[in-house]
Amino acid sequence: MALPDITPERQDLGLISPEELTQIPIHERQHVASNSQISGKQQPEDSKSASRYRAWTTAQKIAFRIAFIFFTVISLPTSASWYKNIFSLDWLHLHYRDLYDVARFQPNILGRVSWWPVWLGYGEWVFILLVSAALGLIWTAVIKIRRAEPRDYNLLYYWLRVVVRYRAGIGIIGFGFTKLLPTQLPYPSLGLLNTNFGDLTAQKIYWLSIGIVPWYEVFAGVVEVLAGALLFFRATTFWGAVLLFGALADIVYVNLAYDGGVHGYSSYFVLLSGFLLIYYVKDLYNLLIREQLTIPNYYYPSFGKIWQKIGRIGLKTATIGIFLVLLFWIQYVNFRYDPYKQPAQKGVRELRGNYAVSEFRLNNKEIPYSPVDSLRWQEATFENWSTLTFKVNRPVPLDLSNGGGSPMRDLNRTFELTGVAGGQRVFYYDADPVNHVLYLQDKYRPGRRGEDSEGDTSGKRDRKKTLEKPDNWIPATALANIGPEYSKIEPIALTTRRAKGIKSETRQEDGKRKRMILNYQTTDGSRVVLTGITENKDSIYVVLDRINRPYALSKSTLNAGEYQ
Amino acid sequence: MSAFESTPPPTPAWTKAEKVLFRFVFIYFIIQVIPLSWQFYRDLFSIDWGAFYYRDLFHLSRYAPHFFGQDDTFVNWAVVALIALAGTVIWSLRDSTRTDYTALFYWLRVVLRYRLAIAVFAYGFIKLFPLLAPLPSISNLNTPYGDFTAWKLFSLSLGIVPSYESFLGLVEIVGGLLLLNRKTTAIGTLIIIPFLGNVFVSNLAYEGGESVYSLLLITFALVLFGYDAIRLFRLVSLEQPTLPNRFKPVFTETWQRYSRLALKSSFIFFAVFLYGYKTYAAYKTGSYQFPKTAGLPGAAGVYDVSVFKLADETLPYSKTDSVRWQDVVFETWNTISIKSNRPVILDRTNTERIMADDASRTYEQAGSAGRHYYRYQVDSTRHVLALTNRNPNYPNETLTLQYERDGSNQIILSGLNERRDSVYVVLNKLNKKYLLNEAAKAGRRGTLKL
Repeated sequence: MALPDITPERQDLGLISPEELTQIPIHERQHVASNSQISGKQQPEDSKSASRYRAWTTAQKIAFRIAFIFFTVISLPTSASWYKNIFSLDWLHLHYRDLYDVARFQPNILGRVSWWPVWLGYGEWVFILLVSAALGLIWTAVIKIRRAEPRDYNLLYYWLRVVVRYRAGIGIIGFGFTKLLPTQLPYPSLGLLNTNFGDLTAQKIYWLSIGIVPWYEVFAGVVEVLAGALLFFRATTFWGAVLLFGALADIVYVNLAYDGGVHGYSSYFVLLSGFLLIYYVKDLYNLLIREQLTIPNYYYPSFGKIWQKIGRIGLKTATIGIFLVLLFWIQYVNFRYDPYKQPAQKGVRELRGNYAVSEFRLNNKEIPYSPVDSLRWQEATFENWSTLTFKVNRPVPLDLSNGGGSPMRDLNRTFELTGVAGGQRVFYYDADPVNHVLYLQDKYRPGRRGEDSEGDTSGKRDRKKTLEKPDNWIPATALANIGPEYSKIEPIALTTRRAKGIKSETRQEDGKRKRMILNYQTTDGSRVVLTGITENKDSIYVVLDRINRPYALSKSTLNAGEYQ
Repeated sequence: MSAFESTPPPTPAWTKAEKVLFRFVFIYFIIQVIPLSWQFYRDLFSIDWGAFYYRDLFHLSRYAPHFFGQDDTFVNWAVVALIALAGTVIWSLRDSTRTDYTALFYWLRVVLRYRLAIAVFAYGFIKLFPLLAPLPSISNLNTPYGDFTAWKLFSLSLGIVPSYESFLGLVEIVGGLLLLNRKTTAIGTLIIIPFLGNVFVSNLAYEGGESVYSLLLITFALVLFGYDAIRLFRLVSLEQPTLPNRFKPVFTETWQRYSRLALKSSFIFFAVFLYGYKTYAAYKTGSYQFPKTAGLPGAAGVYDVSVFKLADETLPYSKTDSVRWQDVVFETWNTISIKSNRPVILDRTNTERIMADDASRTYEQAGSAGRHYYRYQVDSTRHVLALTNRNPNYPNETLTLQYERDGSNQIILSGLNERRDSVYVVLNKLNKKYLLNEAAKAGRRGTLKL
């Protein structure tokens, strides 16, 4: 099919191309535009120079004023912690979460007040909309009284779209990279693979269902990052907005259906991209439904002055450099050496694998295996990282959160624990390799409530109690053998945030976790004997025999973390 | 074609390359779309107008030309492309005077629009009324996560949220409806291409069996979208004045207008209303994925195997013994699944099939290891269960077991197992609470002890 050559028609209609358009000096065009707005009504037909941009109706202007305030407020960071974060960044030792936190904020004026309804988290939006409506009407009144229209709405609309475009672009890229380098939804641990389907929460099932196919997760990440990148350019804004709208609308529904917890933040992008799409509706309707010749007439300020050119290109380059290039790199480092939901430290090498519990003695009394017994371990697993899981047929309090956030300590990386029942116990261990002792702590932390959403916990943790007495349940000699957690990963992944996080999370420990100290004996791991004291101060003696457990689920072909 | 002349202004002549390309595209897609196999018409004329209308239409809607076997492969595409190439050469030699194929292109798009629409309706309605991925069976709930294939996990994960499944179906149907109108086709393809793109990538990632077919549908959608994409790009990206689609068929004769109306209405009637109604009716009677025959009354649940005797010898509990049963599930329908350490040869069915008879409905065990699935017949006078393995990999495996029920919570089975050894099994029903259900009540921020 030939592309119709419409140049003659354009000449007939007295049109010129946007390229030519931008060459008109800016003062002249603003003159034209403001001229047309003072009247506030339809302009006269013969006003040739003013006809380039259609005049705004009064209703459109009022709606715009409200939308302007609303979208400006929700697109700009309003919380003090955001600014605090940005000024405390250590750019030489940047953690992916540092930039992620810059990219990830959502409207938060109210905080958590009791006098305004929550409405599934959308109450905040309604509040801001009402305030914007009030301010927009005041704005209208001021203009009526002063009888002056000093603002060029095309110019304002242009800049509002710029703010929204960049807000949406940066925000979705922050999210997209945690999928593009698949860490947001990790491949299930052995403990999770051994958990019955019905013993997981819906939210867990959804996250695992993406985690089992890392390449699909990469694909989802590519879609999100691409949508964001397209929003950085006005020529591709439409395509970016369509992609973002479609992808995020699906994610909103997914989060509502599976109780995933980020429906609010994903709706935010649907709202922003929906706003960007409104711009095109009229022309698309004219072209596709009415099947009429359509002449786009989009307003752009021209950046004629040299400082404007440099400013524009500089800011754009910085945005792309930071959020596409730098973020990719530090996210890659995170994926490779410190995957944020999965523990980073290597586990004891010879222990890793699935084990059958061949012998179990509690206080020197042998207990034979029975699936209905409430004391005996039924099966045990050592992960690649420093986690021991075992199954006991006894109800335990569960953590139903989504295991998100960005804890720096492996002890607090709870994805393998959250949303899981079936008697699965998950213990973090520090191993003293000299004396063959494991110092185990329950990953379940009593009194800790589920997190709101993916992330959003920085600085909000309950930091009430610090232990008054020094908590020296691990002897100093063993601590010397264990070594500090901070440096136990590749040096390239060591960041200021990790150092600070480990310190502050250690301070937050209140000694309420269950603990065990177990001695391990093994030659090559095919048989492991654990002896020691359990959380309930009982003595146990456990013989574990490694089993080869084939899974129907295909192995991951893309693995986060470095455990070799 | 004289009746379908384009409306003025006449479109400019096509370049030689465009004409050649169009001839290839035309032949290629016509072969992909118009059914040439006699089986298709045999099936078409033997449609069951009753309960299984939706199954027959579903299967017909998945037509794609097959030259080798029944599986969708890209080899079939290659054959079609070769034929189209040959056709293009002949056509180009014999038709060198044409200036354009605007009208023919229009009709190709009509054919593709309806072909694509019926495909998305077929899948859309069985999702809108959540039949495709049903709620997990009790056996599924009692199978370790890692014992499922990725494809089965995909289906189970969708199955636990019927409202989301309906939402996906709705999006698909809306996309399909937009295809039925020339003017809304571009918007329809903007919905359908990302949707099917996701389906295609999911099929690749989750090792599903419909990647070739879903990519075929995407190629249809891309031809449709391609027609409008250029003008969309011109409008929103280049921001240049853009001409609309100027071609529409002019139906001068009355019979033409009536046939158009009749064809379009009957398509909508059969593919939307009747199909929609039949899928709804099927949904009301239960998912086609699970058997319909009822099981032993009041027996549904998961049972602990507290006693297991093989040839009068009692075997203790064991997770490693390949003979001893570990637990047993009775479904509400006539399925018993037994967990033991005897490995399961996987039934890797991963394409969508709608089966009429119970025996062929293998969804509950497809892509699942860890448990052996048996369908059973109850002889309630002699209290005998005749079990047959559901997995096609165990065609001759049968068990005959006498059952005793002394109350509601215990079932004693005795008889011959699959190796004709005598077994005696005491089953105690467990009061199993599933986190999947309990957590929905407690909420993400709630606390729960389980």
